[in-house]
Formats: sequence, C-alpha cells, structure tokens
Amino acid sequence: MTGSIEVELQNVSKFYGEDKVVDEVSFHVNQGEIFVLIGPSGCGKTTTLKMINQIVPHTSGRILVRGKDVTELDTVELRRSIGYVIQYIGLLPHLTIQDNIAFVLQLKKCPKKMQRERAMELIETVGLPVSYLDRYPRELSGGQQQRVGVARALAADPEILLMDEPFGAVDPVTREQLQNELLRLQETIQKTIVFVTHDIQEAFKMGNRIGIMRGGKLVTIGTAMDIVKERDEFIRSFIGQGAVFSALDTIPVTQALLRDLPVVKKGALVDPADSSFKGWEYAFVLDDNGQSLGYVSLAGMEGPAKIDPEKVQPLPSPSLPGDSLKKALEEMLWGNRGWLPVVSGEGAFLGIVSFQSCASLLAR
Amino acid sequence: MKSDYLWIKVWNYIVTKSDFWISMLGSHVKLVIWASCIVIILGVPIGILISRYKSLREPVLNVIGVLYTIPILGLFGFLIPLMGIGLKPALIALTIYGILPVIRNACVGIENVSPSVKEAAVGMGANGTQLLFRVELPLALPVIFAGIRTAIVMNFSVATYAVFIGAAGMGTIILVGMRTFNDGMLVAGTVLLAVTTVLLDRLLGWLEKIVQRKYGMESAD
Repeated sequence: MTGSIEVELQNVSKFYGEDKVVDEVSFHVNQGEIFVLIGPSGCGKTTTLKMINQIVPHTSGRILVRGKDVTELDTVELRRSIGYVIQYIGLLPHLTIQDNIAFVLQLKKCPKKMQRERAMELIETVGLPVSYLDRYPRELSGGQQQRVGVARALAADPEILLMDEPFGAVDPVTREQLQNELLRLQETIQKTIVFVTHDIQEAFKMGNRIGIMRGGKLVTIGTAMDIVKERDEFIRSFIGQGAVFSALDTIPVTQALLRDLPVVKKGALVDPADSSFKGWEYAFVLDDNGQSLGYVSLAGMEGPAKIDPEKVQPLPSPSLPGDSLKKALEEMLWGNRGWLPVVSGEGAFLGIVSFQSCASLLAR
Repeated sequence: MKSDYLWIKVWNYIVTKSDFWISMLGSHVKLVIWASCIVIILGVPIGILISRYKSLREPVLNVIGVLYTIPILGLFGFLIPLMGIGLKPALIALTIYGILPVIRNACVGIENVSPSVKEAAVGMGANGTQLLFRVELPLALPVIFAGIRTAIVMNFSVATYAVFIGAAGMGTIILVGMRTFNDGMLVAGTVLLAVTTVLLDRLLGWLEKIVQRKYGMESAD
C-alpha cells in the first residue's frame, strides 16, 4: 500500500537525567520512502533512530510503527520485524556469512533449509558470490562486510529498515558504489527506510525527504530542493556552499523544462513577426514526427520566408528526461552555451533547459 | 658419580613402583578434575553475573582476591578445624585458588565483546538468553578458556599440597620420599609431577588455540 504511513513520531523526547538529547521531535515516514535524518554530531539523530526499534526507550511522546504504539508491542518481535544496519556493521565474527545473514531467522527458529535458501538469495541481491556464504567476516573487505550487513537486515523481509550511518566506515569510492546499489535495490524492494548520516551529499542523494536536526530538535523537513532554499542561518551554514549542486543532482531536467518554444515545421513558411517568436533569436525546426532537425537563426529575416535548409544548425548533444539538472548544467558549462535541448529516448524533441530555467526553479 | 647413582635409583623407582605412582597420579588427576569442574560450574556463572550487575563486580573480585592471597598452608589451618581432613577440604582449597582466574576472565571476556556486535544482535531482536548464548558466550570463549586453563594448571600444582590435608596425590610420593630419606622416590615424584604438569599445560594450550581459531577475533594463523 503505497503512501501509507509506516513510521510516525509524535512529540518524542529523550532525557538522560536532566539532559534533553531529543526534544519534541515529530515526523512521519511514508511507505517506500527514504527519510534521512542529518545533523552535526550530538544532535540526537542516532538516538532518534534507535528509539524507533526501542534500542533506546523514549521518555515521552508517541512512536507508531505501522500504526501501533511501540510501547504496546513486544520489543523483541518489533525488532525482528525491522531491519537494522549500523555503522560498525556488527557482523558476528564467530559465525559464517550464511549464519550472519540468517541470524534473525535463527532467532525466530526458522528451518535450516529455509535459512540457507534465503541467505543464497540475499547474497546475490547485494552482489556477492554465493561461495562467500561459507566464509567468515574477517575474510571480507569493509565494503563486502557492509553488503552482508544490508543482506542481514533484509533476511526476515522487513517492511522497515533503519540504517545508522551505514556507509560511514568505508572509503569514498566504495561508499558511492554502495549508495548506488542501495538506490537500485530500493527501486525493486520499496522498503520504508530511515537513514541517518552526517554527510549532506549522501542525504541529498539518498533521501526522498530530509530532516535536519540540531541540539535534539528537528529544525526542518523537506526535499533536497526545499532544504537548499531555506533561509535559516544554521541550515545554510550546515549544508555548505556546494550543496545547491548536490540538490540539483537529485532533480531531473524535466522539472526545469521549457516547452513553450518557437517551433517551425520543416519546409513551412515562417513569419518573423509571428508572436510566438517574440523575444527569441532562434527557432527550432522539427520534422513531421516531432523529431528535431536543428535550430535556425531568426536574425536577418525581414519578412515571411521559407527556412533555408542550409542555415539550419544541428542541435548540441541533448539531455535525456531522466538526467539530473546538475549534469545538464555541467554540459552547458563545458559546451559554452546557455541552454541544452531535451530529447526523449525515442528521439522526440521535448524542449530545452537553460541557466534561466534552472535559476527560476531555485527562486521559486 | 653420586648423581649418576641417583638417576639410576629414580629410574628404578619409576619402573618398579609404577603401580603406586600411577595410582597416586590417578588420585591427583581425579582431585584436579573434580576441583576444576566445581571451579567452572561456579566461576563462569558468577563471572557472567558480575558482568551484568556492575555493583557486584568489585566486591566479589575483592573477596575472591583476598582468599587467593592466603598462603596454602595457612588456608589448611582454617579448613582442618572446620572440615577435618580428606578430599572435601582439599576440594574447597583448590576451588578457592582456581576460581579467581575463571570468574575474572568470564567477566572480562563478556565485557569485552564489541558493543557494535551486541547492538546489532539486540537490534535484530535477540532476547537476553539468545544474546548470552549465541553472541556473548561464544565470543568470550577464548578469554574464558584462558582463565580455565590457568585454573587447571594452577590446581594441578596446588593439588600437590593436598597430602598435608590427608588427600592422596603426587604430593604423597614427594612427602614419603622426603620422610624416608628415599631420594630416588623423592626425585622421581618431582620429575613425574613436573612432566605431567608440562604435558597438561601443552594439551590445554593446544585446546586453547583451537577455541581461539573457532571463536577468536585474532587472526586465523
């Protein structure tokens, strides 16, 4: 059921003695969504995550998992129904990879055969060879161990995954690889994920929505684009200068697409005085199938005339609708032009993106 | 020439009195096995207990530590008026000496299990018993076993004194050899004791390696 709320926190606080480490935090996470909690160290993000599966019990407020108050659920059962991935991986060094992956199934006393089958299925899901099942954690690299950590969290096929800086302990190259794999995996498994990180790039990349925490309080929630548009001093300094590019990396070019363009049909008569050309120096030339043939300068045209095929210039190499705005902007910069055509996979001309259209997206 | 003569006497004793020293070695081993069983059965749970209840940790380790420092003949001085002589007070004495390393290592071994491993196990829904038996005990096993090894080897040598409290063992051969000025018997008893202690230590060391390889965090070589 897409769109239903899987996890909800209502005014949740956590005290350690007099210390308020989490202060009246409220948010909800929808089914199939990756919700990222981010903030400087000591902001309470990890504590907030750990309250969801009650590794840390909350002091006040309500935590609902699939609509049920966690304090009314059996804690052990609750944890077995939620996948859990931590920064230091925490693989059990005395167990083989298979037994590590199937650990939750062992705790639930599932039959051995089922454990083996599930472990075989999952190790392939996370991109490791089946032969690794009989190895021990110490024989694997950090990145491989973290893959096993993800496989283990998926063993009981939980609806919800909690990930506490899951890629924090691996090198940047491996981290990016693991992030991409998780995103690809998420397209098929569609889990509800609460993801803690301190890396804003990672937050923008992974999160459908992002919650920024500071001093135990949740200061804002929004998409990457909402976050970069925040005026708040703390948020601006926290996300840093380059954040806008990270945010643009999460947005497809179609969001800044200009569709109202001066268009002429091949071989048609063109009147430069036509209102649709107002403010444009160029017109785009399409054939009968909507495929673009190029563009033509309107300058120097004095009256209605046919387009001279000689004067039609080919389009620069286009963006696909799925490309990110960051990628499109990079190509504009490298190609020394202020705009880029967007063409569908089938070759149909959809429109253009320009510096102007990107900027107006940010201003909105 | 005198020393050559001694070694012949020692050899003669070992060959001709094998029935006697083997039975003494048997009693010795039996005493050590019983004492070690008591030490493990009591020591490991106490160690686990004090790793769970931190307030008990220091008092328990202090009391056991004080008992541990009492010289053995002094301890017999306490035990004989209370329990008389024989196997029972000997077992108590050996238990007192052997239990400290077992309790301490069980406690430290459990405490040293990596917090992230424990957190992962708890987070995946291990209950208290599952955490103890599937995670903490297996991972603490190399440390616990090292404590048990220390206790057994120490008990094996402490059991030599059991002769003073009326329990038979390798101490009997040495004491009788001393009292009867039978230097062949005396040295034979000493040599047999030394050899068996070294062999036992080697055997336990080999077992410890196996345990470490299976459960240890140390590298596999």
